[in-house]
Amino acid sequence: MEATTKRITIDPATRLEGHAKIEILLNESGEVDRAFFQIPELRGFEKFAEGRPAEDMPQITSRICGVCPTAHHMASTKALDSLYKVTPPAAARKIRELVYSAFMVEDHALHVYFLGGPDFLVGPQAPAAERNVLGVIARVGVETGKQVIGMRRKLRELIASVGGKVIHPVLGLPGGVAKAVTPEQQKSFQQTAAEAVDFARFTLEAFEKLVLARSDYVDLILSDAFTHRTYYMGMVDARNRVNFYDGAIRVVSPDGAEVAKFPPEKYLDFVAERVEPWSYGKICYLKPVGWHGFVDGPESGIYSVAPLARLNAADGMATPLAQAAYEEFYRRLGGKPVHHTLANHWARVIELLYAAERLQELSADPELVDPNVRRLPTETPTEGVGIVEAPRGTLIHHYVTDARGLIRKANLIVATQGNAARINLSVDKAAKAFVRNGAVSEGILNLVEMAFRAYDPCHGCSTHSLPDGIPLVVRLRDARGNLVATLRRGADGRLLREQA
Amino acid sequence: MSRDGAQGASQARVLCLGNELVADDAFGFVVAAQLKQAGLDAVFSPEAGLNLLEAMEGVRRLIVVDTILTGAAPPGTMHLLSPGDLPTASGAPLHYLGLLETLALARELGMAVPSDVVIVAVEAADCTTVGGPMTPAVKAAIPAVVDCVRRLLASSAPADA
Repeated sequence: MEATTKRITIDPATRLEGHAKIEILLNESGEVDRAFFQIPELRGFEKFAEGRPAEDMPQITSRICGVCPTAHHMASTKALDSLYKVTPPAAARKIRELVYSAFMVEDHALHVYFLGGPDFLVGPQAPAAERNVLGVIARVGVETGKQVIGMRRKLRELIASVGGKVIHPVLGLPGGVAKAVTPEQQKSFQQTAAEAVDFARFTLEAFEKLVLARSDYVDLILSDAFTHRTYYMGMVDARNRVNFYDGAIRVVSPDGAEVAKFPPEKYLDFVAERVEPWSYGKICYLKPVGWHGFVDGPESGIYSVAPLARLNAADGMATPLAQAAYEEFYRRLGGKPVHHTLANHWARVIELLYAAERLQELSADPELVDPNVRRLPTETPTEGVGIVEAPRGTLIHHYVTDARGLIRKANLIVATQGNAARINLSVDKAAKAFVRNGAVSEGILNLVEMAFRAYDPCHGCSTHSLPDGIPLVVRLRDARGNLVATLRRGADGRLLREQA
Repeated sequence: MSRDGAQGASQARVLCLGNELVADDAFGFVVAAQLKQAGLDAVFSPEAGLNLLEAMEGVRRLIVVDTILTGAAPPGTMHLLSPGDLPTASGAPLHYLGLLETLALARELGMAVPSDVVIVAVEAADCTTVGGPMTPAVKAAIPAVVDCVRRLLASSAPADA
């Protein structure tokens, strides 16, 4: 078959697939009945995994997300430890956490500057055409922009020097890592880590100066539109401090009390999944509390993950500078827990500082260069669960295999599933505030986009067919399901409205 | 540093994007393999946004091969696009920087990224099924796209925008 060549200019009004969609359903009197969001997600992974050797999973799963492959690689590697019932030697655990900390610094920095930046560093009231990466550079300066890119490069070099290419990691094996760290490598890691700490401190100062010093920004963070009183989940160390790589999963209630703390293997006792007719993916809730619809409060099993949730679910940070920033965070925002979604941006900066400090601690650890980095598995594999805190929240890998280690069943719970219900609370609240009598005012797109970026949900991002960057579309339907209007952003950043 | 790319850089690079594990998104992977087999300089990357920086630096001309979902043409249709044809870089990004936003950022920071970018995109049908087969019409477009890229490489003149 001959392919036809056609030169086209894609009109901004073209119906593009792959959008994040907000659907608003109106009732007979033209008021919002309910609103929800949909994002395209990958399908068929569980089936794809069946019959494959479990040992291939750290490589395969790192390919299902083009944004955070390292998180999948690490969750998968830990699931293999659990599957083969083998505890890696101390040096291997430290090398893994070192690599993971470098990844968290990199990912959080990019988010703070380039994704969250347009909302806060540029500002929510700035013209839409300036609220993009170029607007961020105009605000923070070219030198800072270069510093972000330079830091990212060094961190990726660190990751690659231990674990191979970021997108083709060869680091994690059941019971350890593929190779030891040399004293020369360690020296270079220490240099990178020191720079990372300086960079994170600079970022926190910039955030304080550009965001927290502005009472209008702080008011926005505190505003009711972005506030939901839900449960929070995050991984903690033995002293209930935030940890990204290993520990127990802790859940706190909307009033901040611990309601659960469990090892990864027990996750099914606490996390349940449900499918809504309109959703592409599964939505998670707390099993012991139960599903009671899209409402917040202690009676509802809706919980949240990601930076704000991790800070809320912990008692503090394990490094000194991050701990000081943590205390300031709760002092300024009125105590624990904080229920304001937009506080995720501030929480992310605090975690960035923690990850950099942790990177520095690990890079200075004498045990890091111990050549004993692998404990060979001897047990017959049956079932394993591995959990890490991905930048966007708790990430769970669960494999069941036959005695040869071939996958019989794989279950992945990605961070966005943990936040999906709460994101829908935000969408519903925004819709009710901005839709009156069937008329939708344009502020809705801004509000929903800001909530979306604060959570930064994962979606099928390993597929990056054009146009990338996942634009958002709001669709309004009447009581009979007919499309009434569509709202989206045009190429100039301004809103386009199409009446159906 | 010049905004037109690295000094003295005159070569073109083919950057094929996609994910070989995901249905039609494997398109870029297959095209890259065929170009490499023909001895041409093609790079495949399953990464997105800023992670593509290294693959874009130091060349004068960048030819991007990717899938596209416009919904306005049948699967397998080849689109020859310039960056201005794509409605990205509008407003704040939602999840990660797109290819063109990354290029814009790199230029703003004075990095050596190409000023001449041409995109060969094939209309896809399924870019979300892991392990899914490529749609026959998309698969059938491979020779035409490979041929188009070879012609683009052969021509020294910049693509008309």
